[in-house]
Amino acid sequence: MIIPEFEYVAPGNLQEALDCLASHGVEAVLLAGGTDLLVRMKQRLVKPRLVVSLKNLEGLRDIKEENGEIVIGAMTPLVEVLESERVGKHLPALRQAMGKIGAPSIQHFRGTIGGNLCLNTRCLFYNQSQFWRSGRTPCHKDNGQTCYAEENSDRCRSANLSDGACALMALSCEVVLASCRGERVLLVEEFFTGKGESPFAIEPDELVLEIRVPMPGEGAGSSFQKISYRSAIDFALVSAAVSVRVMDGQFEEVRISVGGAGAAPLLLKEAAATLYGKPFNDDEAIEATSDLAKKHASAFMVENLGSCLEYRQKMIRILVRRALKEAIVVATG
Amino acid sequence: MSFAVNGEEVELYISPNRTLLEVLREELELTGTKESCGEGVCGSCTVLCDGVPLRSCLTLALEMEGREITTVEGLGEQGRPDPIQQSFIDHGAVQCGFCTPGMLMSVKGLLKRNPTPNEEEIRRGISGNICRCTGYAKIVEAVTAVTTGSGRNATGS
Repeated sequence: MIIPEFEYVAPGNLQEALDCLASHGVEAVLLAGGTDLLVRMKQRLVKPRLVVSLKNLEGLRDIKEENGEIVIGAMTPLVEVLESERVGKHLPALRQAMGKIGAPSIQHFRGTIGGNLCLNTRCLFYNQSQFWRSGRTPCHKDNGQTCYAEENSDRCRSANLSDGACALMALSCEVVLASCRGERVLLVEEFFTGKGESPFAIEPDELVLEIRVPMPGEGAGSSFQKISYRSAIDFALVSAAVSVRVMDGQFEEVRISVGGAGAAPLLLKEAAATLYGKPFNDDEAIEATSDLAKKHASAFMVENLGSCLEYRQKMIRILVRRALKEAIVVATG
Repeated sequence: MSFAVNGEEVELYISPNRTLLEVLREELELTGTKESCGEGVCGSCTVLCDGVPLRSCLTLALEMEGREITTVEGLGEQGRPDPIQQSFIDHGAVQCGFCTPGMLMSVKGLLKRNPTPNEEEIRRGISGNICRCTGYAKIVEAVTAVTTGSGRNATGS
């Protein structure tokens, strides 16, 4: 498949990149690892006039500890996050998620954490070749008026399938955006709009600079679980991430996020809240929470990934329970 | 742009929309690297960039400015194959052969990082490469033979 023509620039530093976005933002796309972007360009899902390569921004390729947070530069390759001792020790859910993205040849060196966080939402009826799509009227995501995933839907029902985003949602990170106008920090909940057509709250002149994850304190644990057709390469059919804090044998903080369901990783606050104050070995409570998570996440799901919807919904309960149990083991040692 | 392919400096004038795979096959006539899916799913187009595997179909050639690329042609020489190649031959790890260049490069990249992988690590190392003949068992055997030195021509890599 040949990629349509475009202009290419590779800014030498961050300021040049931001200047470039300020003047060409709307018609430009950012190229980090390119493992998703190039496919989308081949399928004519994005037709940029300008491709801005971030390959020279070495400063964004870094994992450090700062003010009680683990700060990961957006251009850090997935494999560096995966193999980072700091991430492995403090953020097991993120390490697990990185290991489940793509295949080694995608993780090594090409795929980046910033790119994974900004993975566009996907749908069986959208992520197809130009020829495949040409037989039908365009869908909402393609600037049309139709939805093939759900009859009569007035909006796009594509799903966020980023493993990294699901884990980072549970880990309660902050996303730092930069533009010529300055920097701003968004909570991960604010970073996603929940809209399939435009899933991210990024302005055209902004780029993701870094991701800040608060250092989990005493008694914290996290876990990420994913179901896909094959363990390598395939996107999630559904995934779940959990972070917990257990103090004096009781749940003190619980965050549950479910990926592959809505246009953003779903943060299930109500389901998580049912665990607060319960003893960590209360299996009945964990079952009830997993059930509730399934119920709440199912409301967002439609038949859009080519796998039976009922199966995906059922698996939410399983994945949330697995993630909870594993996170508790991490938290309680 | 200029970059190194199999140890030789190459200078090219190309348009930005060319992928590394197209440049390797069409400009440099290194047709050992194969295109199959063109979407990063199959791994046929795997080459090494500075020693780590990447998918040449999902890499713009311009991104490789100043890098060192190794393709399957750079693995061994005529009559003197790389130990991995020899082991693939000895173990019959080649059926139709289309996935083989990608497999070899993924294995090469794996052994560079981890010279003594166990079976699970080998399977994970080639998990991004699809063999449509499903000849995975022989491939894993061949790689195991290289790492344990039990192959006929095992000189280590």
